[in-house]
Amino acid sequence: MIEYYQFKHNGGQESYKDGIFLSIVPHMTFLVFYGSNMESGSSEVRKTLSSIFQGKDMELGFEELDKKISESLPSGSEYMLIRISKDSIQCSRYGGVEAKIVMGGEMRQLSNGFFGLSSGDRIVLGTASFFSFLSDEAILADALVSGNCSEWMNYMVRRISDINELSCGNLTALTLILRD
Amino acid sequence: MIEFGILTDRMSELLGTAGVLFVVAVMSFFYIAIILFINVMTFKKKIISKGDDFLLPEISYFLERGKREKQEDSFYISSMPDYAANGVICCVSDGMGGLPDGEVVSRFTTQTLKEHYPLDFDDPEATAAVIKDISDKVYEKYKLGSGATLVLVHIKDNFMHFYSLGDSNIILLRDNKVTLLNQKQNYVSAIIQKMAEGNMTTRDAYLDNRARGLIDFVGNYNCNILKTSKPLRLYEDDIIIVCSDGVTDTIPLEKLKKYVQPQNAARTSAERLKYAIRNKKNKRQDNYTGIVIKMERSFI
Repeated sequence: MIEYYQFKHNGGQESYKDGIFLSIVPHMTFLVFYGSNMESGSSEVRKTLSSIFQGKDMELGFEELDKKISESLPSGSEYMLIRISKDSIQCSRYGGVEAKIVMGGEMRQLSNGFFGLSSGDRIVLGTASFFSFLSDEAILADALVSGNCSEWMNYMVRRISDINELSCGNLTALTLILRD
Repeated sequence: MIEFGILTDRMSELLGTAGVLFVVAVMSFFYIAIILFINVMTFKKKIISKGDDFLLPEISYFLERGKREKQEDSFYISSMPDYAANGVICCVSDGMGGLPDGEVVSRFTTQTLKEHYPLDFDDPEATAAVIKDISDKVYEKYKLGSGATLVLVHIKDNFMHFYSLGDSNIILLRDNKVTLLNQKQNYVSAIIQKMAEGNMTTRDAYLDNRARGLIDFVGNYNCNILKTSKPLRLYEDDIIIVCSDGVTDTIPLEKLKKYVQPQNAARTSAERLKYAIRNKKNKRQDNYTGIVIKMERSFI
């Protein structure tokens, strides 16, 4: 079982330009889009992503889906696509979106590729803006004391709030925990 | 029937013996190879586990009354000779200001933890149960009329579990970065959560001083302990500071690096931190207690 929690916040801005897209069936597929870093065109990208995630493309294999998305979006679009199964994760990253994984009391950055997972592993996927206010040690400590995804996210949001009162522009992140 | 053969009986006998010897030699070769392989793997394993056991915590501490009439902080550090078997426990408890018997509660907390040592490193739930039991006992006696904070770290084999109730501090200095590991359990967190969910900025959450009141502490019934479910990996030159808020109220987190540095021994860092607080000559200086733990290589 995979538990997840998403956080989307205007961060004091008039509009929310980032996005989180997900599809549970037939595969657990997530995409975080960093639209607030674009000068224009973020809403069109979001519409495109939305239609892809609601359509039959989600039945595609990871590489095909990744190719389909990259061909559908304007060049320079920043996002990260991940697909999770019971014991593995596939990642494809474009620009300022990152994923970090907590396993064995340590935290590592997830790069492009295929990685093995085990029960209890925790993943946070977010925009560069979200991570810019958090140290790796803080994310790790919060992951280790959290009982679930929302608790983990709330701890991280509290840290960001202590720095900027959540008035730093759009904040977007997704936490995931693998359960037995 | 007459049998014809090229080999004489003697030669056949010799060839048979040679064959047997050859088989024995091959079997011996494989036997020795297997034994050698096992030995090499065991040796490798020993080397690896030696590497894992390589870090030892060097610990130093201070306990000062500040400008307060009473010392309401209390601490406990388990003995280092037991480190290999049980790890080390360092904890600080700070009696809640403005309430009576803060010093009694903080001392009761650390004393009871001392009585429960050794705690099972691999069972954080059991350690949390001990803390919860302490809290419930304080509640039974004072009915929220007194209380204390508690921060506790349990370090073993390059890993650390931590436990926290209230707003004392567990700080990690790693790679020139200072991180507060345990977030404060006060109403500010609850307000921020609500405001964030409502897509609001959170300035207002910090304006009301009453929001800094503790949600959880030793003395609260059925308290919710902030605790690690899995231990945090430690590395060489990591420094952990377990301290009361009397330390961080005077020396903010971001200034700690000035006094606590990985190139210095824990004793030097603790001394520098203590004198830095003393030299601030804060007229309302709270009790301040700090335990400085430096993870270092120690080849014995």
